[in-house]
Amino acid sequence: MSNGKEITLVVDGVEVPAADGAMLVDAAKGGDVEIPVFCYEPKLGGPVGACRMCLVEVEGIPKLQTACSTPVRDGMVVYTQTERVQEAQNAVVEFLLVNHPLDCPVCDKGGECPLQDISMGWGHGKSRVTDPKRHFRKPVPLSPLVRIDRERCILCYRCVRFSQEVAEDEQLQLLERGSRSFVGTFDDRPYIAPFHGNIIELCPVGALTSEAYRFRARPWDIEDAGSVCTLCPSQCNVKFTVRDEKVARVLGRDNHEVDDGWLCDKGRFGFQMFHSEDRLLQPMVRTGGALHKATWDEALQKAADGLKAAGPRTAILIGSQASNEEGYLLQRIARQALGSPHVDSRAGHRLARETALALGRPELSASMADIDGAKTVLVLGTDPLHSMPILDLRLRKAMRNHGTRVAVVSERPTALDGGADETLRYAPGDAATVLSNIAADLASSAGGSGGADAERIAGALDPGNTVVIHGERIGYGPDGDRALGALLAIADALNLSASGCGLIEIPETSNARGLREVGCLPTAGPGLSEAAQGMSATEIRDALEADELDALILWDVDPIRELPDPERWRTALGAADFVLEVGMFGNASGGQADVFLPGESHAEKEGTVTHPDGRVQRVRPSVPHPGDTRHGWQWLAELAFRLGHETGVDSSTEALEALVAEVPFYAGLTHEEIGGTGVRWQNREQASSFPTPRSALGEGASGSPAEHQTTSPGTPAETDHAPREEREAGGPEAPSPETTSHSLRLGTYRDLWAHEVTERSPALRFLMPGQTLELSLADAEHFGVAQGDQVNVRSNGHSVMAKVAIRERIRPGSGFLIDGLAEQSPNVLAGAETVQVEKAGE
Amino acid sequence: MPETRVLYENLDEQGLATMDVYKRRGGYTAIDTAFRSMSPEDLIFNIEESGLRGRGGAGFSMGKKGSFLPRGDMEKYLCCNADESEPGTFKDRELMYKNPHALIEGIAISALAVGASYAFIFIRGEYWEVADVLDAAVAEAYDAGYLGENILGSGCRIELVVHRGAGAYICGEETALLDSLEGKRGNPRLKPPFPAIQGLYGGPTLINNVETLMNVPLIVNKGPEWFKGMGTEQSTGTKVVSVSGCVKRPGNYEIELGIPSREIIYGLAGGPGAGREVKVWFPGGSSAPVLTGDDLDLPYSFEAMAEAGSMLGSGAIIVGDDTVSVPELALRTARFYHHESCGKCTPCREGTNWTVKMLERVVRGEATPMDLDIISSVQENIIGNCLCVLGDAMAMPVGSMVKKFRSEFDDAIAAARDAAPGPIDVAGADEPPLVLGATA
Repeated sequence: MSNGKEITLVVDGVEVPAADGAMLVDAAKGGDVEIPVFCYEPKLGGPVGACRMCLVEVEGIPKLQTACSTPVRDGMVVYTQTERVQEAQNAVVEFLLVNHPLDCPVCDKGGECPLQDISMGWGHGKSRVTDPKRHFRKPVPLSPLVRIDRERCILCYRCVRFSQEVAEDEQLQLLERGSRSFVGTFDDRPYIAPFHGNIIELCPVGALTSEAYRFRARPWDIEDAGSVCTLCPSQCNVKFTVRDEKVARVLGRDNHEVDDGWLCDKGRFGFQMFHSEDRLLQPMVRTGGALHKATWDEALQKAADGLKAAGPRTAILIGSQASNEEGYLLQRIARQALGSPHVDSRAGHRLARETALALGRPELSASMADIDGAKTVLVLGTDPLHSMPILDLRLRKAMRNHGTRVAVVSERPTALDGGADETLRYAPGDAATVLSNIAADLASSAGGSGGADAERIAGALDPGNTVVIHGERIGYGPDGDRALGALLAIADALNLSASGCGLIEIPETSNARGLREVGCLPTAGPGLSEAAQGMSATEIRDALEADELDALILWDVDPIRELPDPERWRTALGAADFVLEVGMFGNASGGQADVFLPGESHAEKEGTVTHPDGRVQRVRPSVPHPGDTRHGWQWLAELAFRLGHETGVDSSTEALEALVAEVPFYAGLTHEEIGGTGVRWQNREQASSFPTPRSALGEGASGSPAEHQTTSPGTPAETDHAPREEREAGGPEAPSPETTSHSLRLGTYRDLWAHEVTERSPALRFLMPGQTLELSLADAEHFGVAQGDQVNVRSNGHSVMAKVAIRERIRPGSGFLIDGLAEQSPNVLAGAETVQVEKAGE
Repeated sequence: MPETRVLYENLDEQGLATMDVYKRRGGYTAIDTAFRSMSPEDLIFNIEESGLRGRGGAGFSMGKKGSFLPRGDMEKYLCCNADESEPGTFKDRELMYKNPHALIEGIAISALAVGASYAFIFIRGEYWEVADVLDAAVAEAYDAGYLGENILGSGCRIELVVHRGAGAYICGEETALLDSLEGKRGNPRLKPPFPAIQGLYGGPTLINNVETLMNVPLIVNKGPEWFKGMGTEQSTGTKVVSVSGCVKRPGNYEIELGIPSREIIYGLAGGPGAGREVKVWFPGGSSAPVLTGDDLDLPYSFEAMAEAGSMLGSGAIIVGDDTVSVPELALRTARFYHHESCGKCTPCREGTNWTVKMLERVVRGEATPMDLDIISSVQENIIGNCLCVLGDAMAMPVGSMVKKFRSEFDDAIAAARDAAPGPIDVAGADEPPLVLGATA
């Protein structure tokens, strides 16, 4: 381990400065010396010294040393080119090729293969092997997404180490022994895990190939384009492999501050959605009751006419993948061109400006890298695996490598429970009470004032050394403001303003933080400035129904699928005079769109997005626009112009300039400064112009009365919310009273795969979950249902069909359905406190 | 020259494996001395002073190894390596089977010396009968208070567990042994860190062979001077030698280190059968480079064997007389290591595999003299380039055989060719030769 000291070593006669304790193979790069490696990959943890490719001579040590595992010392003298070293390196290359098939001409890796490169650079150049090579059946599927060619495998262990030490799914194993060793799974079962695509990229030969890329291109056919994946809030940095103007593959573009070098399978294989046959690539306009293809000019004019007619009675809902520029221009159209404050980018109820300010202030914001150094991490009301997958890997790494202690407080069991020091389950809807109890415990010097469970969680946290990760959803529902108030009290008690600490919100949509900061909230304008108060998503629905609003713009959001109460949304959309829908597939408005404008994929988009930790990143167009699609910023500026509002935006640079001019804490930000790896706005001096909340806890905030609920530390129970907090929010041993009347408190979660991208990408389709009711064994027995049964989950006359999955760690009295499915979506049950379960067909 | 029976003094006595008989023969007196009147420093000093070298193969000074373990308050471990799997080695089996309490006593004293409170005997899985004997003896030792809490009122606690291996030669390699003991796949670890610093479960760990540990009570009882009085300057004490192969009386013999090798092979083991000569012999298990009949007068000591380009290893002498075919012996040796290679590092995994394939061709008569050069070069490429010494353990003997008996390999190739009934069956050999430009 490096101690920060600078030392000098001599590599091949050249003095090389290096950090004390760095591994020789890395230090040598400082002297422009490349030492070849196969098994060494720092992302996978410590060196294993298995491939022996990096043998070098170190003065004073008789045997050759593996450079991957030799820490450098001051004055160390190293030779990488002596005859002895060359002989050893030649020998290792020769050994590796003893069993390697040399089928490079038909191998996917050919041309970008470390084994080829190293054979060329450090090998004999001729083979002395005349004996037959080992044979395996090949290529065989290791999973539906990955094929394995065991003959090509050089047994470097990278994939096995990834499975065992990074993803910790422990499915991949080295089977058999010696030269008969091979990589496989127990009993030849398919390797199904959310991150397993990374092994394709880790493989230094063509042993692991992607089903989606096999035989699709050779390295000389392709170009790489760096961008950011915006399919989820992780916003991993990616490289798109582009062939013939189409994305053929997605690779990681290591950014320690964001993704630590990994991708999830959704990001890796979801590019197939870009080429879906169902994608709409042309503007459409409703004429004679149906949508017909139109030119941009016609469509934009029709849109301008429709919106102009509605004027301030227009509302805008902005969903998942909008860029900061698109969000900014949309709210500008609403606020400035149409005079309407009704812009929302959240599915929950309205977020008060003061709360947004209190939660978003820079000193309270943790960076992703802070997680690595935190002593304790509190995960609140979210399962990172589903909501921000790459964070799951980061937390595992922190636990494994840095001894970070994790406490998980959530409705539903999480993937992190196994490694967590403490877990606490609460009933769906009880977040506010649980958080208040934890806040109370942390605030009181003696502890214990929030009950035993809260004390247990509070006791596991180290004030001044903690990162709190919370889901956006804890702020949803009638008690949302109280929950966020309690969260702020927890932040206060844990001294999260200290350096290396802070909050990270896992939002429901990928660019939620950016959209909020550029003004896509009904309660705040760009830069979270004070603005006329508009309606939240739910209020917009009600107002459309009541004919208080006339026009609606839906940007990348499907209210019928994703927002509560789809039936009422259907009515609301029907009642609207004008609906403008923007998206890739045109299925979001229940067939009510008057104008449809084709949306971009994130490989085509140009703009910026803001990571949940405040890192502003650049999304760069990697492929040309398919069909008649256009840049969002481009036609939004045009639309604004047609509405009589000149934005002055003629390029993406100008779009960013206009945006940062109105967001004081983004001030001066340019594409150059953002660069390839992004920049956290909290780290710039302009962060000091973040608006100061009048009170940390939302005092004086406008909006619904609930937002005036102030919860000061130590008095979380003083609140006028009557029914919920009286229930125990305690541990799993305390079942809710409802269980006696055979009902469940219903919670929902967005499964990692319950997204359109899974349906639209053929490679991923097998992962699309069917609706599943997860419940405890006790409740299953209550209802008389068994694992795998089809059941109806009912409430208030609505019902969702689901398959029963009994889960051990679910709190009795709670049940969970999956959000965001195209069919049997539980949003029909939204607002239901409890649900009944009965076997289907009885 | 007769045997020097020290470890073997009462070994054949009925019932020595029980506490009663062992104590009657003076057992568990050293543990008394050690726990009541000696400090860990005294013990380490005495062991180091005695010159006791590891009996498992590497021959490293036990006292020195013990002194590498950090002092201080931390969980430390002791592992007794009883995974005796080296072909030709069968001494630990007899020692443990007949005198388990001497091992337990040695372990307890050594654990005290290094401050380990947990000790393990990692015994070769096939030695199930021996493991039963050990289990019984460990139970007796717990009952008698020689193991467990507060041993002999000293306040020291030592827990001892007999762990049965699952049947892999590699688990006798000390770091693979640790991985296996931890429940993982038995693969060697990268060194450094050495087990003395970071071993079992990340704690400092002393790992020693059965015979080494059994010498410890004797050193405590009789003093390092007594021990040094036997053997040579650099190879003190006695050594149990397992003699096998072409000799009249194979078996274990305890000798004073430094006696002429001829005394062991001919004097004790009776030499090869009538009219036969010693042609080739492994002085220290199948991993040791072979010696020839010319080397029989070498003193049997660590230093003399090293000087002759071989090693004393685990003290297993395998003798081949003039009826033995060295190419077949090389193939047999290589096959063993190929079978046992764990596959973690490249030179060993691929080198053992390739060597076997080439030697098979030599024996079948399908090799050329050039292949012998390749075999030699492959052995050189393995030696010193692996993660552990398993690869070297094949490369050293095979390399030495090709070097010292090259003409026999050449003859084997020629003889097999001559004996072959027709053209050698290689792919395409029975097809008519292709002549460019000719019509069919």
